[in-house]
Amino acid sequence: MKRRQYLIGALSLAVAFVVFVIPFIFVFLNAAKTAAESATLDFSWPREWRFWQNLVEVVQARDYMLLLAYFNSTVITVGAIALMVVSGAMVGYLLQRRRTPWNRIIYGFVLAGLIIPPAVVPTIWLLQQIGLFKSITGMIFIQCAYGLGFTVLLYRAFIATIPRDLDEAAIIDGAKPWQVFFKVILPLLKPVTVTVIVVQSITIFNDFTHPLYYLPGAENVTVQLTLYNFQSQFVSQMNLLFMNILLVTVPPLIVFVFFNRQIVAGMTSGAVKG
Amino acid sequence: MARVVLNDIRKSFGAVEVIKGIDLTIEDGEFCVFVGPSGCGKSTLLRIISGLEEQTSGGIEIGGRDVSLAEPAERGIAMVFQSYALYPHLTVRENIGFGLSLARRPKAEIAAAVKKVAETLQLTPLLDRKPKALSGGQRQRVAIGRAIVRDPGVFLFDEPLSNLDAALRAQMRIELTELHAKLGATMIYVTHDQVEAMTMADKIVVLNGGRIEQVGTPMELYEHPATPFVAGFIGSPTMNLYEGKVARQMGCDTYGIRPEHLTLSSDEGRWQGRVRHVERLGADSIVHLDVPDLGPLVARTTGDARIAPGEALWARPQEGREFRYGAV
Repeated sequence: MKRRQYLIGALSLAVAFVVFVIPFIFVFLNAAKTAAESATLDFSWPREWRFWQNLVEVVQARDYMLLLAYFNSTVITVGAIALMVVSGAMVGYLLQRRRTPWNRIIYGFVLAGLIIPPAVVPTIWLLQQIGLFKSITGMIFIQCAYGLGFTVLLYRAFIATIPRDLDEAAIIDGAKPWQVFFKVILPLLKPVTVTVIVVQSITIFNDFTHPLYYLPGAENVTVQLTLYNFQSQFVSQMNLLFMNILLVTVPPLIVFVFFNRQIVAGMTSGAVKG
Repeated sequence: MARVVLNDIRKSFGAVEVIKGIDLTIEDGEFCVFVGPSGCGKSTLLRIISGLEEQTSGGIEIGGRDVSLAEPAERGIAMVFQSYALYPHLTVRENIGFGLSLARRPKAEIAAAVKKVAETLQLTPLLDRKPKALSGGQRQRVAIGRAIVRDPGVFLFDEPLSNLDAALRAQMRIELTELHAKLGATMIYVTHDQVEAMTMADKIVVLNGGRIEQVGTPMELYEHPATPFVAGFIGSPTMNLYEGKVARQMGCDTYGIRPEHLTLSSDEGRWQGRVRHVERLGADSIVHLDVPDLGPLVARTTGDARIAPGEALWARPQEGREFRYGAV
């Protein structure tokens, strides 16, 4: 039995290594090669290390476009998450605490947000009508809308574990409804909020397709879209492309490594009592 | 002053009426206990007084002011919850001062008020702890402190001692009674435990099925229970109550006799029965008898009584201690 467990463990580690680590090593090695050498896409040690030069070149490419992209992606991520946390917690709170006939309808919309796939063309049409197409603000709203369903569900499940007595004690202490929420409930939501921030920031920061559709224009570039800088129909600079991938992947990876324990805690903390 | 007057309070949840018309006056400075079995509406009534629940009809006056539709914070009340409901993210100091800081009182005033309350309740060394680092009794005291600091006219307690162990409960009963004497405020206390009701109350309100069964001082209820329900609810062990044929033979619909008002003897009495079980409490013994034609009968006798299960015993009710309801 013990031997079998050991074998299964070793096998899973080997699979995880092949699936997750080898591609990363491949990206890392190729990011350090010269253009000619990386074009062959071999899994080999670089003959000449050009790691630093490639890095500088990627950052400087197209008038420091990568830095602009970092800035844009950060603004979108922070904006969308701030909006998502505040509105998701509020909606989850009301859905859990206030029993009205509207709840079913609102809950239906929340689930619809999770189930129904987003339609790109009508969304662009709508954005054009309200003048938010090709704007960072519009992108923030879209990212917030995409993540809101999941966020509301998480918050609602967690708020169910907070005793209603706390709300009532605060009301007796003279708290207005918004004070009950911001001074008593919201501070207690920290574990879920960390989960939401980490999960959604990785998703939004790494998003490629949505900024591609809704945010055209060189000044609106986001990090994932900078990958197009080095891949075109005629010329592909594989070494720089890989360096770019490396630079774009690292920040979310760091976030995940540091917070993965809280993510799991926050996901399951609402699970016992729903 | 904080006299509480309830005027024909009714409350329905959907089609179910849980409070069926309650008229009650609680005098200023009185310690009033609502007692009754679970589901009798006592907690709902307390929540209606606090304003957390809205009555379907009827009026509430606190201190001569009509507060029927007022917000909880404007009623001059404070409430202690069964679960204590301390804010887990705040320290004891912040928990006690929470209401004052919401009211945007100056920091120095809050600090002084918290300090005074903490001294009253011996909480001073605990002020910087979070609730999770406190024991049950300490949490209870913080919850009471949070109520005191509001300086309310009326304190509302919703089964505050039911989460504590027996020894601590006895101690807190005394502390609460002393606190009441010190503050002189009106207190309304909800419990299902008749011992708490008897030991602490100036006035007991016995509720049953959304109605008041009887209002009176503890000894009034003990000595003159108005209905069989009150007779069975007040007193421990509970009164022996008989209905049907047995009661009719004694000229009433319901006949009752308290265990402590039965005299046991080995040779003479009204009923003869066989001892089924003896509970020894030290100072007292509770004797369970099986009496033919009557049914089970519980009697209380001295702790040193030499009684063994299986023995045949006579029981005799003491003069003037019998209760007859619906006497013909």
